Amino acid sequence: MAEITSASNAAMSVAASALRAQQARMRVIAENLANSDSTSRTAGGDPYRRQVPVFEPSAVDGGEGVRLSRVVSDNSDFRTEYAPGHPGADAKGYVKLPNVDPLIEALDMREAQRAYEANLNVIETARAMDSRTLDILRK
Amino acid sequence: MALDDIPLFAMLRGRLGYLSERQRLIAENVANADTPGYAPRDLKPFTLPTASTLVMASVAPALTSPRHLAGVAPRPRPAYKPQTMADSETTLDGNAVVLEEEMMKLTQARMDFDAAIGFYQKSLGLLRLAARKPGAS
Repeated sequence: MAEITSASNAAMSVAASALRAQQARMRVIAENLANSDSTSRTAGGDPYRRQVPVFEPSAVDGGEGVRLSRVVSDNSDFRTEYAPGHPGADAKGYVKLPNVDPLIEALDMREAQRAYEANLNVIETARAMDSRTLDILRK
Repeated sequence: MALDDIPLFAMLRGRLGYLSERQRLIAENVANADTPGYAPRDLKPFTLPTASTLVMASVAPALTSPRHLAGVAPRPRPAYKPQTMADSETTLDGNAVVLEEEMMKLTQARMDFDAAIGFYQKSLGLLRLAARKPGAS
């Protein structure tokens, strides 16, 4: 980027980094939802484990942005279901199902959407302030 | 003479600088609205530069010898120091950003910015009026 970064430029880079981070979070949520019924291929094995995105502050030019630092596994217990005919069932006939709760994922998704919109709002405001300043040059 | 030597313009410039700095901080807060343990930062309410700093700004060193360099006294730039200001709620993961409040602050900063720019334009118009040839409309 340019060496001279104005405050509004920095604000936009910060907001852009957040947009990227929220996109990455949406990807993780999509993976969780898509795999909410993925069981183990081997008998008695573990199914898909829910992934949780973790954010951390990171420097972008001129400000403190955010980035998806890592994706960790949710270590809560799996659901079980009695299905003796299932290829993933253990000796007692129980199949482990992923620890994905569609309700939690839906709430997470809404939160990501809200954060995304808030950051778009920041960009829009920064742009409006810039163009308002440029209006002085007119007339 | 620069436009900034007029105290009114210097003040307006300070105000605009303050508001864009504040807007940058709000952007950081919004970006980190989901970062665990993040506390939002903001600037203290704007105060006008005192008369003494305004006078100091216009002092230039006198040139007593032709070999002196025309030094210009560095303009004391008011530093706005960001400080941690938690919003009304803190979530379980230690994040103290409330998006609604940040949006309010953002809109506030934008409205203040628009007001300052409007003021700036009016003041420029005033200068233009003074510079106009008498009789010309």
